[in-house]
Amino acid sequence: MPGEEIASGLFLTEAVVDWLSPPPLIDTTFARWDEAVGTARLLHFDTETTGLAGGTGTRAFMIGAAHWEQNGRFRIRQLTITTMAAETAMLRTFAGWLRDDTVLVSYNGKSYDAPLLATRYRLARLPNPLTGLGHLDLLHPVRRRWKGVWENCRLATAERQLLGVVRDDDLPGSEAPAAWLAYLRGGPATNLRRVAHHNAQDLRSLAGVLLRVSGLGACPPAAVPIA
Amino acid sequence: MNALPDRYQASDDLVLRGPSDGRALAQRLSKRYAERITGSFVVPGREGSFAPLPADLPPALAHALRSRGIDALYSHQAEAWVATQRGEQVAIVTPTASGKSLCYTLPVLSAAMKQGAKALYLFPTKALAQDQVADLLELNKAGELGVKAFTFDGDTPGDARQAIRLHGDIVVSNPDMLHQAILPHHTKWAQFFENLRYVVIDEVHTYRGVFGSHVANVIRRLKRVCAFYGVTPQFILCSATIGNPKEHAEALIEQPVTAITQSGAPSGDRHVLLWNPPVINPDLGLRASARSQTNRIARLAIKAGMKALVFAQSRTMVEVLTKYLKDVFDHDPRKPPRIRAYRGGYLPTERRAAEREMRAGSIDGIVSTSALELGVDIGSLDVVVLNGYPGSMAATWQRFGRAGRRQQPALGVLVASSDPLDQYLVRHPEFFEGAPPEHARIAADQPLILLDHIRCAAFELPFVGDEVFGPGAATPWLEVLGEEGVLHREGDRWEWIADSYPANAVSLRSVADGNFVVVDRTGGKQTIIAEVDYTAVPVTLYEGAIHMIQSVPYQVERLDWEGRKAFVTRTHVDYYTDAIDYTKLKVLDCFGSSSAGRGEAHHGEVHVVRRVAGYKKIRYYTHENIGYGPVNLPDQELHTTAVWWQLAQRELEQAFDGRQQALDGFLGAAYALHIVATVAVMAESRDLQKSVGSADGAWFVASDIAGRGQLRGMDGQPMALAPDAPFTPTVYLYDAFPGGVGLSAPLFERREDLVRMAMTLVDRCDCMAGCPACVGPILAADEAAADTPKALALRVLGLLVAL
Repeated sequence: MPGEEIASGLFLTEAVVDWLSPPPLIDTTFARWDEAVGTARLLHFDTETTGLAGGTGTRAFMIGAAHWEQNGRFRIRQLTITTMAAETAMLRTFAGWLRDDTVLVSYNGKSYDAPLLATRYRLARLPNPLTGLGHLDLLHPVRRRWKGVWENCRLATAERQLLGVVRDDDLPGSEAPAAWLAYLRGGPATNLRRVAHHNAQDLRSLAGVLLRVSGLGACPPAAVPIA
Repeated sequence: MNALPDRYQASDDLVLRGPSDGRALAQRLSKRYAERITGSFVVPGREGSFAPLPADLPPALAHALRSRGIDALYSHQAEAWVATQRGEQVAIVTPTASGKSLCYTLPVLSAAMKQGAKALYLFPTKALAQDQVADLLELNKAGELGVKAFTFDGDTPGDARQAIRLHGDIVVSNPDMLHQAILPHHTKWAQFFENLRYVVIDEVHTYRGVFGSHVANVIRRLKRVCAFYGVTPQFILCSATIGNPKEHAEALIEQPVTAITQSGAPSGDRHVLLWNPPVINPDLGLRASARSQTNRIARLAIKAGMKALVFAQSRTMVEVLTKYLKDVFDHDPRKPPRIRAYRGGYLPTERRAAEREMRAGSIDGIVSTSALELGVDIGSLDVVVLNGYPGSMAATWQRFGRAGRRQQPALGVLVASSDPLDQYLVRHPEFFEGAPPEHARIAADQPLILLDHIRCAAFELPFVGDEVFGPGAATPWLEVLGEEGVLHREGDRWEWIADSYPANAVSLRSVADGNFVVVDRTGGKQTIIAEVDYTAVPVTLYEGAIHMIQSVPYQVERLDWEGRKAFVTRTHVDYYTDAIDYTKLKVLDCFGSSSAGRGEAHHGEVHVVRRVAGYKKIRYYTHENIGYGPVNLPDQELHTTAVWWQLAQRELEQAFDGRQQALDGFLGAAYALHIVATVAVMAESRDLQKSVGSADGAWFVASDIAGRGQLRGMDGQPMALAPDAPFTPTVYLYDAFPGGVGLSAPLFERREDLVRMAMTLVDRCDCMAGCPACVGPILAADEAAADTPKALALRVLGLLVAL
C-alpha cells in the first residue's frame, strides 16, 4: 500500500507537481456567482466509492483533494482506508483540510460526492464540514456549453476535448469498488494503486477544466439545439 | 350502444312503493323474496357517548376544533388522548366512520405545537394518505396552527422531497416508502428522526399475512434507526374490527399496547340479510348466479332513491356488474353517469375523480373491489351489497360498515355465490351472526422475510456485536450475508459492502415485484390505460383475455412478460373471459407426521407450481360457455408449508373399485376439508389453498369439465398411470404464500377435528349425490351412479377419521 499510514488503516499519499498556471483570481461568472474566487481558496476533490447504489450503504474508501500552493505548484493529497474502522479518521483528516472560506471544485460533486460524504459524516456522528462551503460543480457549465456537441459530458470526455489528456492504463471508475474490495479481502494492491492513479488524474483534469470553463463567462448554450 | 328498455320495470314496481330507507328496503325484500333470505338480523344502533374537549389541549387546537363544529369528543377519542398523554402505545379499534383519525390527530398536533415534535403517519395506500393530509390542512387552516403536513410517496417530486424532510411536522407516507426510500436514506431525514415523537399506523388490520410480517420487520428497522438518533417514538395504531386487536398491534410493534375498543360514535341500526340465489336445479344443487341477484338488489336500491355500493370479488366481476347496472341507469349518454366502477388498476387520477364524484353525491351506484374496504372517503351510503363472501368476517363487517348515515338505518346484503364457503355460511346464519371477527396473524420471524429485512437493516446501519434483531441475535443471519459477500466483518462490526440497494429487491406486498401496464394500441396510438399487479397478471392479462376498464372491453393481443406490458385493443365482443388454472405440489421436507385413521397426516414444506392452462369465453347475461383458448405463461412457483393426508395403496384397493373412484373421492374430500379448514383457522380463503396429487409430485388431479378427477402429469397434460405404478393420492392444504405464514401448523394440530368436521359437512348436506356446498359441483349423470361423488368423498374421509 503506497503512502504513509497516518492512523490505523488510513493511508495518505502526497504529490506536488507542476500543473498549469492559474491566474490569482478565478472568474466564476460561469457559475453565476457575483465575485471571482481567489485561487488559493480552491480545493478540488473527488471520492472513490464502494458503488453507485446510494443510500446509507455506500461509502467512500478514497478521498482525493488538490490545490495550488502559494508557489504555484499543484499539491495532490489522497486518503485511502484499508479498514472500515479507519473511516472516521479519514473523515476527520479531510475535515481538517477545509477552511471556512474553502471553495470546493468537483465534477458532479454537488449531486454525488458531497451528499455521500454528508451521509458518512452523519453516520460517524461528526459535523459535516462541507456544510456552507462554496462549491463549483463543473459538470453543469460543461453540460450547458457542450451537451449535444460531444458524445457525452463525462470528465474523461471533457479532459480529452479541452486538455488533450489521453489516459494510459486507466482503471475505469466502475472497477474501483471491486479493486478496493479485493484488497480489503486480502488480495493484491495492484488495482487499488491504479484507482489512486485514476483519482489523481481526475483531480488534475478538474483543475484544467476549471481554468477552461472559467474563461467562458456566463456562456450561452452551444449553437446546437439542446434536446 | 342502443338504449335498452327497462325490462325490469314491472317486477321492480312490486317492491318499490313509497320512499325507502335501509329498514324499509330490508322489509320489502324480506317479504318479496322470503325464500331466498336465509338469515336476517339487526345490529342495533347506539347512542353516542361523549366527553368534553380535554382541558390540557392547546387552546389554539381546541379553538380550531370548535370552529369546525367539534365541541366535544367521542368517548374513545377522549380515552385515546388520556392514554397517549400517559406515554402509552395505543391501539384504537372502532368501526368505519367513528372518527378514529382524531384519536391520533390531537396528540400529534398538540406535540407539534408545544414541542415542535414530528410525526410519521403510515397508511396502506396513497389515496388514504392524501385524504388524511387534506383533513389535517383544513384543521390547521381553521386554527392557524402553523403545523406543516405533507404526503411523501412515490408521486412526490424530487425537488419537494428535501423541503419535506426538513420542514415537515407530519409526514404522511406508506410502509413501502418507509422501507424503500426513507430508512435506506435515513441520514437525509436526520432532523426529522431526531425530533420524531409519534408514529401513527392506520388500518393495521391490513398488515397481516405476508404483508404484515414484512411491515413488522420494517417497524423493527424503524426503531433501530430511531435508536441511532436517540429517540423512542410513541406508537398510535388504528384498526377496523378484528378479533385480536391488542395482540395484533403488539405483534406489529413488539411493545405492550393499550387497546381502546369501545366506540363512542353514534350509529343507526344496521339491517343485515343473508341471501341465497334461488335453486335452479335442486338435484344438482345448482343455483342462480350471485351476480344476477346482486344486480337485482342494487337496482332496486337505486330505483328507491338510495345510494348503493356493491362489492365484487374480482376486477372482472366489478366490470360485469358495472355494465349490467349501466345498462339500466346509464343508457342515455347525454346525462352524467350514475354508476361507477372503482378498483385497483385504474390510474390514480381516475380513482381520485371517482372519489370526488362519490363524495359530491352525483353517483348513485358504485361497484368496487376491496379497494374501498379501507377508509377512502366516499361520503355516505345507504345500502351495501356483497357479491359473494369476501373471505372473512372482518372484511364482511367492514364492508357493511360502509353503509350508514349518522342515525339512519342502513342495509347490508350478503349474496352467496356458488362457492362452498359462501354456501356454508348462508346455510348456517347462526355461525355468521355469532362468529367473532378473524384474528389477524403475522409471522414476523418467518426466515425468508427476516433475512430480507436483516439485509436491509445492515445496509442502513452496521450491526455491532450480538445486536438483536427480531427473535434474537442477528449473528447467524449476518454470517449468511457475509458468505454471500454483501457484508464484511471487521472486529465486531458487520458493514455493508456490496454495490446494491437491498430494499429495491424486497417488495412488502408481493412475491415478485413489478406491476404490468396495460397499453391500448387502438388506432395506432399507444396509451397506458391501466396497471395490473404481478400476481393478478396470469389470470387477467393472458393473450386473448378480455380486459374490462370502466366496462369497456379490451382484448389482450400480446403480453410482454419481461417488459411487464400487455398490449390491448378496443373490442366489441359479447363475452368475457375466465382463466382456468391448475396447481401441483411436491413435498420437500416433513416436519411432523401422525396416523390419521387408516392413513397418515403430515405437515411440512412443499413446492407449489401454479399454471394457467387456458381460458373460457363466457357470454354476457346467459353465462354460457362459448369457447376455450390456450394460455402459455410461465408457471408461478412457491415454496410454502402445507398439511396433507394420504392413504396407503392397499387401503385404497380394498375400499374402492378402481383408481378413478379413489381420485374422485379425494377430490371431494379435499373440497370439504378446504371449506372447514378455512373456517377453522379463520383464514382468508385465498390464503389457504387445496390440491390433490401424488405424494411424489409425479402427477396431480384436476377436475375435468365433467367434474371428475383427471390425472395430469408434470407438463399439465392428461396422463394415464401404468397399472403397476405406485398410487398414493394425497390431499394438500397449503399456505398460499412463499415460506408460509403459519397456517399449516394450527391445521396440523387440529387435523382430527378437521376430518371430523368435513365428514359432518358432507354427511349432513341436503344434496343427494354431492353439490357445491360439500364435495363440489357434480354432473347429472353422477346422480344415478351407485357410487356418488358424495359417497366416495365420505369413504375417503371415513378412512382418515381418527379411530
